[in-house]
Amino acid sequence: MRISAHGLAVDLPTGWEGRIRRQPLPVEAGCADTPKFRSHAMLHAADFPLPDERGDFGSGAVETMRSHHAFIALVEYGSGSAGTALFASGGMPRELRTDEFSGRQLQRTLRGQGGVQRFFVEEGRAFCLYVVLGSMADRGRVVPRVNAVLSAISISAALPPEWLEAM
Amino acid sequence: MCGPIDVTALDGIQATATVLLGLLVVGLLKSHAEILRQLHELGAGRTEEAPQPVPVDLAVGGSTGAKAHDISGFTPDGESAAIAVLGAPHETLLAFLSSGCLTCNGFWEALGDGGDLGLPAGMRVVAVTKGPGDESESAVRVLATGGQTVLMSTEAWSDYQVPGSPYFVHVDGTTGRVAGEGTAAAWDQVVGLVARAAGDRRRLRNGAGRPRDGGRGDHIDQELTAAGILPGDPSLYPTTPPLTGDNA
Repeated sequence: MRISAHGLAVDLPTGWEGRIRRQPLPVEAGCADTPKFRSHAMLHAADFPLPDERGDFGSGAVETMRSHHAFIALVEYGSGSAGTALFASGGMPRELRTDEFSGRQLQRTLRGQGGVQRFFVEEGRAFCLYVVLGSMADRGRVVPRVNAVLSAISISAALPPEWLEAM
Repeated sequence: MCGPIDVTALDGIQATATVLLGLLVVGLLKSHAEILRQLHELGAGRTEEAPQPVPVDLAVGGSTGAKAHDISGFTPDGESAAIAVLGAPHETLLAFLSSGCLTCNGFWEALGDGGDLGLPAGMRVVAVTKGPGDESESAVRVLATGGQTVLMSTEAWSDYQVPGSPYFVHVDGTTGRVAGEGTAAAWDQVVGLVARAAGDRRRLRNGAGRPRDGGRGDHIDQELTAAGILPGDPSLYPTTPPLTGDNA
């Protein structure tokens, strides 16, 4: 099952579902003065039902996870971020190791869960990859399934700003 | 001036006229059939326009039901979305609804009130409208207010061969098969039909072979067989009236 939008695409294995949207930043964030932060694309994938109300990094979804579940968020940052130290890595990691996950990398600490955050640039676009495991105890079984999804994600070059304004 | 009428010529004219009339009738029939076919393709007579949908038993399908499909499309908020139906460890009820069908209003309200839908625990409900090209996005946004997942996908309607709205497809994610499908006039009918389908499947899994209450007396046969009374047993054909309380 393939979905694609806003320069992101993923071929989801059986049992996984996904969403792609373009997330406008709130007006108070100063969008008018900082066009590079006007909006960003976001991809969510999970092997459990994704609730409609979700935060960028999965709040609203990760609370419903069971031990064998996994959640993936790919969140785009403004193009100005691409040159910063945080986003120095090139290319999205598509093969995560089990020892990269820990409870300390969670955006929201939930008992037993583990996560990983990676910041990178691909096709000139800056992203954060955030993966949550329902249980650190099951990571040996779950991480290979996560990697299968990561390897099925493709990122296209950024749209010109004037195109984004028209969308 | 006028000679005798040539009978042979008259017969020829008559035959020609008959053939022409025959051709005309065949042409009219073909034209009529073509009009009916096109009306059928346009959806005339389908359930969407029917004021009183006739409930169809959802307790059909089971492990031999039609193959189910994952569904993808857009949410009313414009997200590109894919929803897992196959391989899911839960059952899914796909509610094919539209913004324009009067009967659907009750279902949108039931889904939107945020309360307990009365379905089996763990069953996921997904409302599916046609895609943005065939359905009003703004109207669906207004209707989709209850926190239930709503997907706009013409492809899903096609994959599940939905004849019109409202229409419900009950999928068993573990078998990847349609457990039952049909239409209903009110939400409580859907709940009852789903519950019955679940009960039927439980009995089938337990080896009953057929629903016990199918009206065919299968359970009587099973109980008699278990008691050692097989078809043709003399005790099944008494020659004297059974004793009752009055004549015992």
